[in-house]
Amino acid sequence: MTMITSEGSYRHLYVVVEHEEGKPIPVSLEMLGEARRLMDDFNKRYSSNEKVVAVLLGNNVRKLCEELLFYGADAVIYAESPELQYSRNLIDTKIISEIAINKECVAKISPDYAERFKKPRYMFFAADNIGRHLSSTVLVELESGLASDINKLVIEDLEIKHEHKTKGQAMTYAKTLEMYRPDFSGFLWTTILCLDNRNPAIEREYHPQACSIIPGVFQPLMRDSTRSGIIVEHVPKLEEQDLNVKILSRKIIKSAVDFDTSKAIISFGRGIKDLPEENIKLIEELAKELDAEIGISLPISKKPYIASETITSKYMVPDRVIGTSGRRVSPLLYIAIGISGAMQHIAGMKESEFVIAINPDENSPIKDECDLFIKGRMEDVIPILIEELRKQKLVMEVKK
Amino acid sequence: MVSLNTAVIIKLEPDFSEGNVSYNSDGTLNRAETKSILGPHSAVASKAAFYSKVKVGARISVGTMGPPIADYALQQAQLICDADELHLYSDRIFAGADTLATAEVLKTGINKMEGGKMDIVFSGHRASDGETGQTGPQTAWKLGYTFLGNVIDYDIDLEKRVVIAKRLITLQGFYDIIEEVEAPLPVFITIDPSYKPVFNTVSQRLAFVKYQKEANERAQNYKKYLKVFNAQQLGVDPKFVGLPGSPTIVYKVEKIPKAKASRKAEVVDASDREQIRKVVMRMNEILGGMVIK
Amino acid sequence: MEHFDVAIIGGGSAGLAALKQLSNLEKQAVLIEAGKTVGSKNVSGGILYSKKPKNGKVNNVEDVYGQEFVANAPLERLITKYILHATSKDKIFSIDLTSAHKYQANFGYSVLLNKLNSWFAKEATASAEKQGGGIIPGVHVKSITWQNDRTIVETNELDEFEVKAIIAADGVNSEIAEMTGARNKFTTEELYQGVKVVVKLPEEIMEQRFGIGPNEGAAHLFAGDITLNHIGGGFVYTNRDTLSAGAVYHYDSLIQKPDEPYVLVNAILNNPMVREFIKDEVAVKEDIDKGLPKEEQLRTRFAVSKLVKTWDDLRHSYYSPASRAKLIESGKYKSETEIKARIDSIHQELSDKYKAKFLTDYVELEYSAKLVPDGKRCRMKKPYNKNILFVGDAAGRGIFVGPRIEGLNVGIDDAVRAANAVARSIDRNNFTHSYLGEYYTRLVEDSPYTRDMKEIDKDYLKTFLDATKDVPKDIVGSRYGMIFRLMTSGTLRGLAVGFANILGYDRLLPIVESVETYVQVPVEIAEKAGTVVSSTYTPTIPTIAQRIAKLKYDDDNLSHIKVLHPKNEFMKKMVILCPTKCYSIENDDVILQHEGCIECGTCAKETEWRHPRGEKGINFQYG
Repeated sequence: MTMITSEGSYRHLYVVVEHEEGKPIPVSLEMLGEARRLMDDFNKRYSSNEKVVAVLLGNNVRKLCEELLFYGADAVIYAESPELQYSRNLIDTKIISEIAINKECVAKISPDYAERFKKPRYMFFAADNIGRHLSSTVLVELESGLASDINKLVIEDLEIKHEHKTKGQAMTYAKTLEMYRPDFSGFLWTTILCLDNRNPAIEREYHPQACSIIPGVFQPLMRDSTRSGIIVEHVPKLEEQDLNVKILSRKIIKSAVDFDTSKAIISFGRGIKDLPEENIKLIEELAKELDAEIGISLPISKKPYIASETITSKYMVPDRVIGTSGRRVSPLLYIAIGISGAMQHIAGMKESEFVIAINPDENSPIKDECDLFIKGRMEDVIPILIEELRKQKLVMEVKK
Repeated sequence: MVSLNTAVIIKLEPDFSEGNVSYNSDGTLNRAETKSILGPHSAVASKAAFYSKVKVGARISVGTMGPPIADYALQQAQLICDADELHLYSDRIFAGADTLATAEVLKTGINKMEGGKMDIVFSGHRASDGETGQTGPQTAWKLGYTFLGNVIDYDIDLEKRVVIAKRLITLQGFYDIIEEVEAPLPVFITIDPSYKPVFNTVSQRLAFVKYQKEANERAQNYKKYLKVFNAQQLGVDPKFVGLPGSPTIVYKVEKIPKAKASRKAEVVDASDREQIRKVVMRMNEILGGMVIK
Repeated sequence: MEHFDVAIIGGGSAGLAALKQLSNLEKQAVLIEAGKTVGSKNVSGGILYSKKPKNGKVNNVEDVYGQEFVANAPLERLITKYILHATSKDKIFSIDLTSAHKYQANFGYSVLLNKLNSWFAKEATASAEKQGGGIIPGVHVKSITWQNDRTIVETNELDEFEVKAIIAADGVNSEIAEMTGARNKFTTEELYQGVKVVVKLPEEIMEQRFGIGPNEGAAHLFAGDITLNHIGGGFVYTNRDTLSAGAVYHYDSLIQKPDEPYVLVNAILNNPMVREFIKDEVAVKEDIDKGLPKEEQLRTRFAVSKLVKTWDDLRHSYYSPASRAKLIESGKYKSETEIKARIDSIHQELSDKYKAKFLTDYVELEYSAKLVPDGKRCRMKKPYNKNILFVGDAAGRGIFVGPRIEGLNVGIDDAVRAANAVARSIDRNNFTHSYLGEYYTRLVEDSPYTRDMKEIDKDYLKTFLDATKDVPKDIVGSRYGMIFRLMTSGTLRGLAVGFANILGYDRLLPIVESVETYVQVPVEIAEKAGTVVSSTYTPTIPTIAQRIAKLKYDDDNLSHIKVLHPKNEFMKKMVILCPTKCYSIENDDVILQHEGCIECGTCAKETEWRHPRGEKGINFQYG
């Protein structure tokens, strides 16, 4: 079969980096780490020399560029201006898009590939508040496709047969980025591909293949200050109408729920469903005995069960979610009650010292992520635990 | 003269609330058995739009791309925001659209809403299924509107023709930030699910009651306010909508393989009292460092 | 700052009537109600009267809402039978007081306030909107201040706004009265504590049992040992398909010998006649065999619950002509016999297959309590403060004359007078106390209801005594014998009443409203002349914890009541007298847990008492 290549037009992996207070936020380094691994493998497999290029916008960010090299970037393209102090979607989108098609920058970074360069081959963004929206608008501007909330990436030559994309014929798409995203239950992976339309009726090239990446999933590289690379400045076009959003104030707020100083954390999930109100009250009692903070699994934050206003507004809130879409915790004692053990939740608590799971189903995935598995229904187990805790507390007090 | 033109884009989605959603025995979603409703984030977006009507008497249009049954979502949205106009963009060729192709349809539809140019367009944070959160910002970019995301509160200054909004930004590894911004109309706002409109004057409360009553009456006859557009009526280029207009496709869906066990669990039966006693002792050890014999 | 002509504070029957009347007079008014919805914080003993006094005129509910009121409003039953029972253990002597109930009355309907006030609200809103006003629920007034010539209303939820006049209809525990210094809080001698439960009973079973037709209702009152030696009385009223059963007591009688309100209402329920009134067939689920596999246990549990609910609902519908007709109309059942057959077959299935039992018991729906002011003792002589007019319970204007207890109609009459006074002031733009407050005071003085709070109505007395003519006089003993003889003589009665009115209610009341009158006399009558009433079953009365668990609240984490004197005697009594046990003693201090508060006001006298913030607190379902 004919292999249509847009060879030469699309090169390199651009990673859009976010930062705060002069430091890159952790997911930026995680993305660079994964980018590095992917492109090292890519270059070996395809005998090529494509680069990991970090893209950085901000005010006084030149010094940050080195750091990004130390964490795996081959090059950094940055744009500086007081106007870029804080992220504003419109101007950021414009500048990142400009950078993405800037041939001159590419010429400085990788002269071999500069001549026919049109856009990056791949592009990464962070799947956080800013990155998810930024990636969306940039990809409209670049007229290509985006998959969001990705936690696994593979580059592969794929044989595709698609009604529209290939007019039903089998074709090989080389160097395709498989972007895996978990569904909301946490048990299914959907793989998204961004593919050119090779059907003559609707022929179009779609690059970069872009995705936003879930924080906390990939590992950053060890910081290596011997790494070197090329730093290029892109002078942004700053037009009045693009700067129309005024930032009036910025206030840092602390989360109402303090997981960080809690020695013990108790989380609950869909297992409360038979008697949500009563079960949560039981869990409250147990938490009181252990002086523990209470967390929830992601589905609970969507208020799937009926409970009183007090309980619902106190517990079924995003602020309490433990997992990749919420908080990461590492207490001494973590008790997972009625939680099956979806990947996203595990990612949020796997650093805990000692993990106890209470679940009637011995086959739930949480069993492989805990140190102690109490088989039973929470309405049966928790009262016994509370009783035992109170008994032992009395004993301890008597002994004092 | 209408002071403000507000639009909301919404989505019909599976009902994920417990009791309504079915799960298969392996924990995955059973889509076939689940009812379709106005998506919860779309409902919040509708509430946000309603605020503009109560506050400044805005005219509200609601639009959605979907199959013919998506008019149910439009009716539900009208109940919430007393919409003056309902748009359904429905055509076979829209099927299979990813967010870019969807945004193309929505942008075209919004530009056809009555009252002229929309001053504020609202969308939900993300859909319950799909959950990409991309459609809103992409539609905004195609419209050429200033995009404000994660908005938890907003107000309108009609004289200056600006929106003042509070945004919630979570910086992983750092802290959360509430950012207050001012942007000139027109704007596209993606509303945070925690948004709750506050009506804090007597006249707003009275207007709220008045418009809610009107909303109930209108929603009973929602078809009167409904305009259905197929691709031709909408005037979209077929190459840019539906599957043809989608850069991305779903390649496969598979079960996430069970990761290798990172811990080895000791299994305790709840009915074993003695074991439970030992468990609690262990808990106390870990927490207090006190060992009880 | 926004401004409106009138603010009405409190969405009870009085406040709503004021709103409707002002709208009828084409005046703009905004009604502020703290509850989530109108009616959610209202409790009524149970009967709404419309009166036609011989001298003077009152504004009845149908005058405000139109003559179609009776046809359209969600009234329960027209009370056609009104009977007083003297009780002593299982002996009861009944006195038919229907004539006293009908005295100068157009009608008396049993009501459930949540439903009724919601209807009032709908009507009032429709009219008020046309005048640019309306009802705003979920807002709690925090303060009223006067700055220069402006009256500013401050709330917890809204920006402050300005008004020209205020009608305070916020009930017996009126915060407006207290905040503005219009009057002191009512003392325990001036108040009654009422406590009641709403009981479920199928319509036609009720009609047969009480001997009433589909358009009739019965009111049964009780005095004697049923009140556990307190001054007061019990009542059972028939609603459409529920009963209101409860009791009302002199508050200071409770202070002298504190008894828990739920114990008092249980005493009513346990009286053999009342037991027989409230009973019904109730399904009791058997325990599920734990030996069965878990899924089957679950399935059985759900199946039984569902069946019991179906049986109960269907049965209830079957005994209601309206529901029966609807069922047949819907096509689900072809005839009444078919419905009955289905009920019987479910009954069979439950007992045969699931071993469920069907017992005689009663079904309690809602427990509630409220304080009521005794107008004779505490009505505001000048029910205004600056440009705020007080109506109904807020002005201390409840009628208590023997068995006659009225509040709803008084509040409505007051509200109309207040609305008229305010409208007049708006027209002349004169809100001074001489033009508004004093004028309103005169209007209220003119009300026949006020007369009932000041003097004995000898015609009412005659009616009452005539009704009691079968009571053996010798029983009542020497103390009352003289009075009885006086009262039964036509000529002497006029003199006696005249003399009594000169003496004044305050001197008479301690004699008349005494343990002797309310307890000992009825007990003696029942003992000597009563018949034995027996009940064949023992009702399962819910514990107070179960009753509270059934109530619906919107919790506010802020406590709305502050304990000022944690160690004093009054507060210690609150531990017993709070109907929902919000008070307890810890280390000799009385502490409050506000979550169960039903906002009755029992503890208001010695606490900093407020309603919770807007939308928060108790939400009664029946009222």
